[in-house]
Amino acid sequence: MFKLDRKLVTIAGVALVGVTLALSTTTAKTATADVAGSLYKSKPGAIDGGVTYPRENGTYTAYKYNEQSTKGVSFGRTPTANEIKAWDIDALPDGSGLPEGEGSVELGDELYEAQCAVCHGDFGAGGQGYPQLTGGNKDKDENGVIITLKNQRVYGSTDAPKRTIGTYWPVATTLFTYIRDAMPYAHPKSLSNDEVYAITAYLLAQDGIVEDDDEYVLNKEKLSKVVLPNRNGFYPNIDGPNAQEDIRAFFADRAKNLGAGTRCMTDCKDPGGQDGKTEPFVVKIKYEMSDVVPPYAYAKDLPPKKDDGLQHPGKEGYESNCAVCHKTDAMGAPAVGDKHAWEATLKQGIDKVYHNTINGKGGMPPKGGTSLSDDKVKEIVDYMIEASK
Amino acid sequence: MNKTFEVEESNSVSRREFFKKTASVSAVAATSIIAPTTLLADDENIMHHTKWGTSLGDEVNKNPYGVPSLYEHNVVRRTSPLMSSAGDMHAAISMTPLHALKGIITPNGLHFTRTHNGVAHIDPNKYRLMIHGLVEKPIVLTLDQLKRYPSETRVLVLECPSNSAAEWKGPQFGTLQMVKGMMACAEWTGVRLKTILDELGLKPEAKWMLAEGSDGSEMSRTLPIEKVLDDVMVVYAQNGEALRDEQGYPVRLMAPGWEANLCVKWLKRLEFGDKPWYAKEETSKYTALTASGKAIQHFYANEVNSVITSPCPEKDWKDLKVGDLVEIEGLTWTGHGTIEGVDISFDGGKNWVEAQLKGLVLPKAWTRFSYMYKYEGKPLLLQSRAYDDSNNVQPTVNQEKAVVGVEGVYHRNAIVTWKVTDNGEVSNVQIRS
Repeated sequence: MFKLDRKLVTIAGVALVGVTLALSTTTAKTATADVAGSLYKSKPGAIDGGVTYPRENGTYTAYKYNEQSTKGVSFGRTPTANEIKAWDIDALPDGSGLPEGEGSVELGDELYEAQCAVCHGDFGAGGQGYPQLTGGNKDKDENGVIITLKNQRVYGSTDAPKRTIGTYWPVATTLFTYIRDAMPYAHPKSLSNDEVYAITAYLLAQDGIVEDDDEYVLNKEKLSKVVLPNRNGFYPNIDGPNAQEDIRAFFADRAKNLGAGTRCMTDCKDPGGQDGKTEPFVVKIKYEMSDVVPPYAYAKDLPPKKDDGLQHPGKEGYESNCAVCHKTDAMGAPAVGDKHAWEATLKQGIDKVYHNTINGKGGMPPKGGTSLSDDKVKEIVDYMIEASK
Repeated sequence: MNKTFEVEESNSVSRREFFKKTASVSAVAATSIIAPTTLLADDENIMHHTKWGTSLGDEVNKNPYGVPSLYEHNVVRRTSPLMSSAGDMHAAISMTPLHALKGIITPNGLHFTRTHNGVAHIDPNKYRLMIHGLVEKPIVLTLDQLKRYPSETRVLVLECPSNSAAEWKGPQFGTLQMVKGMMACAEWTGVRLKTILDELGLKPEAKWMLAEGSDGSEMSRTLPIEKVLDDVMVVYAQNGEALRDEQGYPVRLMAPGWEANLCVKWLKRLEFGDKPWYAKEETSKYTALTASGKAIQHFYANEVNSVITSPCPEKDWKDLKVGDLVEIEGLTWTGHGTIEGVDISFDGGKNWVEAQLKGLVLPKAWTRFSYMYKYEGKPLLLQSRAYDDSNNVQPTVNQEKAVVGVEGVYHRNAIVTWKVTDNGEVSNVQIRS
């Protein structure tokens, strides 16, 4: 975490090349100093007059960047105060940034039923495949952890942990900005601030986080003070002056905090289970999720032809066999698209045109040099006439 | 075979007659390429002119923007109702066909994509990027102005923190694409954010940056200032061309090595502040609930990871015969630094051998690994285990589960196991207890 390869580069000049390559090899002993300079080791005398690069110690390549100063590079303009005001509408957990306005649980109920329930279910209880918003057991253990969030769908527990506003979300201001910016799903940003306060009030009331009373009215001041049950359910700490050091410490101990492997090479043991002793075994797919879109297919074949009925049956044959001469009049042939030329040709009658095409005329060989059937040739002629009207 | 007959129909009758007579033996010949001396008949693909060799091809600019061969039409992103909300494909994710990729660069059309409110289509002429908050000099930039800044280009992996989320409780999907396809690697070009900030006078109390998208979901995330000033970029090009709409055209944030959700697409606003924002996608989602009942928040870098791409369920070994020398190949990546190496196990993790890295080995990018293997036609439990220069070793399923449980959704990097049967079939299994 916070791995500063850019800093490495700054300190070591162009050594990124060397660092990258040294680290890239499977064993440290193969790192070479040769590649740390500005050029790779090369040998002259390539057949093209250039050099060849040796393939040695498993390495071969490079990145470089411009080291000149970029100080003073500046484009764009200062935004106006109104422009910043128009876009800077986010809200922080302490409520700063929330707009004026208010909305009641009663109005929220009405709006929710009309615009939200179709996806999120009655009362936010889910069931439509979209996220469940309300409900879930919020009881806490002696350490203040919401007990149901410890549910693991292994080791015998079958209930999934429920991640609702009441059981999981850390701060309530997010609910306001979420609804205002991104909901309703198909018409985001269509609700007024008052309406957003109302829906926020309604959802918080469902979990008893604010008063479950139609008359209850939520506004900026009240929302700023709402503390959600799982406020302390997250780590590492990201608040206060030590936040970034706390994060650094957390990610510094990844083995403890995230899990890590070991480079055992022979006769390795991998015990698991709750007791750390259970022998591993091979688990196969029980119910394969195979309803993918588009369906699985691996053939290297031609895609099915889309017959939309719009393409003339002779068009493809024309393009692959006749267009080389008939696309323009450069070869003396009537050009497709040249209305007058084809009117003149057709004066002799369609049967004669078919006949000449099949048997050849002037510079044109029989059937234009193809081995197509007579009917196919006629189709092509029809297309050429059609395309020249 | 059918295509060959098409060729004949468009060429000469005599050849078609010939094929009618030889079709049955040729069918055998075409599938017996491994032993030419035992062919019953000569390969028709060699003995006769082809359709493409006996006709005029397309005009040079038939496709002014080139398209893949039509024969590659099955190489596409795939999604699943499981990767969406209630099957709605506006808030969903579509996966890269890893089995069909080579090297470390993902073609733009195959780069995995995740949206929270559909793929937005931004008019670049109306695009504005605002940078404000705790800076002396806030600015607003047009796209052209942003592109006036000196550019930087890096090859970087982007991985959704939900990659393999379906696999926490056991194997679920039967293909590499669906197991690990929420990632891709591309060459990204843009401006290093520090270059812009150097002139804006960042105030000392600025500790956090909010990055906000302009799509319907108004995706936003908070990043710590240290990362912002290190290697975060604002990018507008992907593999040499403008970003695709699916990747946030015209501009997205790029936080090298960190979960792709932080790399906000359709980027609109960067605000500097002294406190984190607690945006919706860093509280209600993208926090990893552990078995302790508490959740990891601000989960930044993607962990050291790897997967064998050949063989894989889509690219099995059914055509191999005992004694064939075959390459085992895979992808490895880490958000923490640079890959140092990969080990391979044939027995489900009891014993390991060192594979070799190949190609470009770049920080925070896909790296290829390779191992030459003599196929023995016996059942295998094939695994890869990566380690990086930040002292991370990829964990087993048990090792990861022991610390974080199975309900975390995000940042799963446990070792993947392919079961190879004695006839070369490959399937997704897990070694776990």
